[in-house]
Amino acid sequence: MLALLFILFAGMAVGCALSMVAQRNPLYSAISLIGVFISLACLYVTLAAPFIAAVQVIVYAGAIMVLVVFVIMLLNVEEEERQPVRLRTLVPIAVALAAVFFAETAFIIFFVQTSPATPTGSVSDVGLTSSIGTGLFTTYLLPFEITSILLLMAVVGAMTLARRGGLIGANVGVVPGYQSFAREVLDPMATTDLTQVEARTSREAEELLGVSDSPHGHDEG
Amino acid sequence: MEDLKHLVLLMVGILVAFTVVMTMVAYTVLAERRILGFIQGRLGPNRVGPGGFLQPIADLLKFIFKEDIVPDKSTRFIYFLAPTIVTTAALMSIIVYPFGPDVHLPFTLPLIGGNTIPLVIAKFDVGLLYVLGVTSVGVYGIALAGWSSNNKYSLMGGLRSSAQMISYELALGLGLIGVILQSGTLNLQSIVEQQSGHLGITGWNLIWVQPVGFIVYLIAAIAETNRVPFDLPEAETELVAGFHTEYSAMKFALFFLAEYVNMFTVSMLATTLFLGGWNGPFVHQVPWLGIFYFLGKVVFFLFFYIWLRGTLPRFRFDQLMSFGWKFLVPLAIINIVVTATVQWSGVFDWGAKFLKTSTGWGG
Repeated sequence: MLALLFILFAGMAVGCALSMVAQRNPLYSAISLIGVFISLACLYVTLAAPFIAAVQVIVYAGAIMVLVVFVIMLLNVEEEERQPVRLRTLVPIAVALAAVFFAETAFIIFFVQTSPATPTGSVSDVGLTSSIGTGLFTTYLLPFEITSILLLMAVVGAMTLARRGGLIGANVGVVPGYQSFAREVLDPMATTDLTQVEARTSREAEELLGVSDSPHGHDEG
Repeated sequence: MEDLKHLVLLMVGILVAFTVVMTMVAYTVLAERRILGFIQGRLGPNRVGPGGFLQPIADLLKFIFKEDIVPDKSTRFIYFLAPTIVTTAALMSIIVYPFGPDVHLPFTLPLIGGNTIPLVIAKFDVGLLYVLGVTSVGVYGIALAGWSSNNKYSLMGGLRSSAQMISYELALGLGLIGVILQSGTLNLQSIVEQQSGHLGITGWNLIWVQPVGFIVYLIAAIAETNRVPFDLPEAETELVAGFHTEYSAMKFALFFLAEYVNMFTVSMLATTLFLGGWNGPFVHQVPWLGIFYFLGKVVFFLFFYIWLRGTLPRFRFDQLMSFGWKFLVPLAIINIVVTATVQWSGVFDWGAKFLKTSTGWGG
């Protein structure tokens, strides 16, 4: 029964992975990648690690890939045309890396088959929620904290990048000519402020609002 | 042989739960139309069968026999895939909810080798995470439906929906963490059993410990199911019908079905986590009562949804986003901090013990 399920889900994972690489349409690739993640989650369940499986689906399939699909849809990337390979120097490197990968796989299979340790046959509780929690907060506390700080840095970095160049986004512009707005239209931080603001250009609007961080204007905007 | 027997039992369980949920979903649609009619001072459908009782069947027949129109420039494969994803993701979470305690049949079933049957299909150690994971996949269906229809209104609806669901999923998950901290398990059955209390009422998480978590969960859940007042993905006055503008016949019916099944599962989760699941008066003496208590609480939530739809106007998109990120998420985080502190300091245990000794109440 387990072997059958393994063949089913492993086959699905490999099939989806191949399709991910082979597809020309980036959206189809993304969907194939979701398929890979979900098949892997099913494999985790058969390996008695339901927590990892659930987290795999929630984090990878449910959160990260949604953002990827979102970006693909927003950019409306068209089907890639068949182009000649540009960086020919990369081909031998790819072949070498593939060879290393196959050697590693063969080594692992050989090592597992010849290792004296035999599986005990009992169901372990390593994959259960409480043992994972205990492990994270005792033995692996330092790596866990470092990872948290890394993620926090990523959040702060994303905010810094998004805020660069004042509060008016680079894509938002005031139509040239005299016009007046409620302040809340221009400034996302003042949601209920209906004070009238008059401006002729985007720059002028930013200066009036006091959100322009560079008085010499933005070259990138 | 043992495996096969297990498989057959699972299949039977899934079939029964599926039938019950589908029937209730069909009649939720009817109830919604009748209740909305009442709220808006009109009658609603009352012609098919006594009091409109056969209306869901008539609707279904209509959906089946309508012409299936596929837009010319649509991305065919994804256009067909999207409704399937939505419906599958909505239906998959049914299997982990405990509909009731173990019940006893008056006769012995040969397949089980006894007369005790559990009213839950899969006893899953991480049932709560399973529900969150499965529902988080549903967003693809909506986003892909919007994209593949090749229609700007659909695309806008799909994008709005993705943004909204990602934002509110966070608040939803954070709102549930309080309950998890409280009960120390992700197993839905254990969470229900912990809420038994006096007469099956006083142990509910809602009353004792998680009112804030409950409110955060309820609001986020309404947003997750794209219902009024958070129905921006299909806002008909702005986007025709949003992500399912280009869908017709049975494919539209699948989206329609998924929306109501999602309402149903969200209500089941709220019942399980906050309203004590199948707990209620005398449920330990008469276990069959459990299923009625459970479904009764679910029906209350469904009514609440319909009530909201008849009462509230729609949010604006920026209001929706700032409400989710600047109010619900911080509120949920405060709730987690407070719950963790209380749990760690043991104040709650002390309080519960005091109440129990002085009044005989509490879990």
